[in-house]
Amino acid sequence: MDDESSYATRPTRFTLLMRTFLPWQLWRFAVVNLKMIDISRRNNHGARR
Amino acid sequence: MARIVILGSGVAGHTAASFARAWLGRGDDVTVISPRPDYNWVPSNIWVGVGLMAPEKVVFPLAPLYERKGIEFVIGAASALHPEGDPTSRDPFVDVELAGGESKRVPYDFLINATGPALRFDKTPGLGPDGGFSQSVCLPDHASAASAALDEEVERMRRGERRKFVVGVGHGTCTCEGAAFEYIVNLEFELRARGVRDRAEIMWLTNEYELGDFGMGGMHLKRGGYVTPSSIFNESLFAERGIDWIKRAHVSQVSEGALEYETLDGATSGLQFDFAMLLPPFSGVGLKAFDAAGEDITEQMFMPNGFMRVDADYSGKPVEEWRASDWPRSYQSPLYPNVFAAGIAFAPPHPISTPRKSPNGTVIAPAPPRTGMPSASIGKAVAASIVDMVRGADGPTHHASMAEMGAACVASAGASLTKGTAASMTVFPIVPDYERYPEYGRDGARTFGEIGLAGHWIKLLLHHMFLYKARMRPGWRLIPE
Repeated sequence: MDDESSYATRPTRFTLLMRTFLPWQLWRFAVVNLKMIDISRRNNHGARR
Repeated sequence: MARIVILGSGVAGHTAASFARAWLGRGDDVTVISPRPDYNWVPSNIWVGVGLMAPEKVVFPLAPLYERKGIEFVIGAASALHPEGDPTSRDPFVDVELAGGESKRVPYDFLINATGPALRFDKTPGLGPDGGFSQSVCLPDHASAASAALDEEVERMRRGERRKFVVGVGHGTCTCEGAAFEYIVNLEFELRARGVRDRAEIMWLTNEYELGDFGMGGMHLKRGGYVTPSSIFNESLFAERGIDWIKRAHVSQVSEGALEYETLDGATSGLQFDFAMLLPPFSGVGLKAFDAAGEDITEQMFMPNGFMRVDADYSGKPVEEWRASDWPRSYQSPLYPNVFAAGIAFAPPHPISTPRKSPNGTVIAPAPPRTGMPSASIGKAVAASIVDMVRGADGPTHHASMAEMGAACVASAGASLTKGTAASMTVFPIVPDYERYPEYGRDGARTFGEIGLAGHWIKLLLHHMFLYKARMRPGWRLIPE
């Protein structure tokens, strides 16, 4: 509610900018994909044929 | 020659059928039984529900694909399992109610129950789009109806009216809070994109003890020199987007434009709304089971909530004794070694989030999620075990415990190729393992989350990739689950 909302952490303008800053997001695209592939690879360890 | 029958054509069932067909020889039969003729990539229903994607973009008909691939497809709802046959034959079979009202007996050598959930809107009076007063995005037609209702609200706001939106879960025992979370942030983004955000009040209503629990007991993420609980990130996003929240809530009644809810402290309150999207609780689909003599063995094969018992610990031990090893690995029925469950259809041994009750005895705690990546991984592992058993293995050879596997989740927070964002999260393992990771139950290096445009690109990529895979186009097996 309002009370709790006022205690919540909020992003700085720099953080907001970086969320859609293309060069940074291209890099994050690669990093996040690699992290997800790592998880998927581990999950398939038990189902690999 | 073996006959593998799969009940359900959702993520778990379709994945199991695809791999079983690819791995088995042509002498073996693969049959899918499903009441729905289409495959639905459910995660993208969110975009349908806010009007950003046509419903036909998230579904495709299964019959032509299955015909091409040599998978028999029976459109009907399985109603009863006969794992020992009946007095006339010892061959196991499934009773199926066909669309025209006729019934059919489908024999099997191996059975995968991947029936998914029954959407229990009936658990909360007035909940749901069919005869109720709230919207849903569980099915493509629900999502289309939600989109149409949203359009009407936007029109009213363009005429200057203020409108109130409530999004979340419609019962204290719901799961899939992540999907509702995705809907509310997409809704907020879309209202901004349509230029009416200033006339909308948006409220998140959840059964989670803390925001960001998602039925997984939350996560701890390394960020900015701290290990921070996911509630901080969730609250931050809501505060940034001007979304208020009510947590620890069980919706007890929905009527036209209003709902009643109880919170964990036992207090009851009311909430007015103009538009509500509230997910229903799930149960099993109500399959019955009978032994060779025709005696009802449903209670032995299924839990009271209708989900199927598998190789898990169902002793009902207290939360402080929960272990990662309680969770199933092979998904094999303890009664019948040729019967398995995959995806939402298997009965979890217990929740992941701490169970809680209000002073009135109302359970207000999220059920464990088992959709998407875990469902597909389980379907694939079960198919692999069955293929090996067809070839002579004594028992299941593959495993996919949720306490040993991770999940990657991309929750769209606004769909635009240049201005959109999504929360990308990975968690490993899904079920915390405090023996292996004593501090937080999870691998800190593989549990992370961030918000950004890259997440939206990944979400879009996954939409196309997983539909390509589901259509079993060339190279589909190279695409991970």
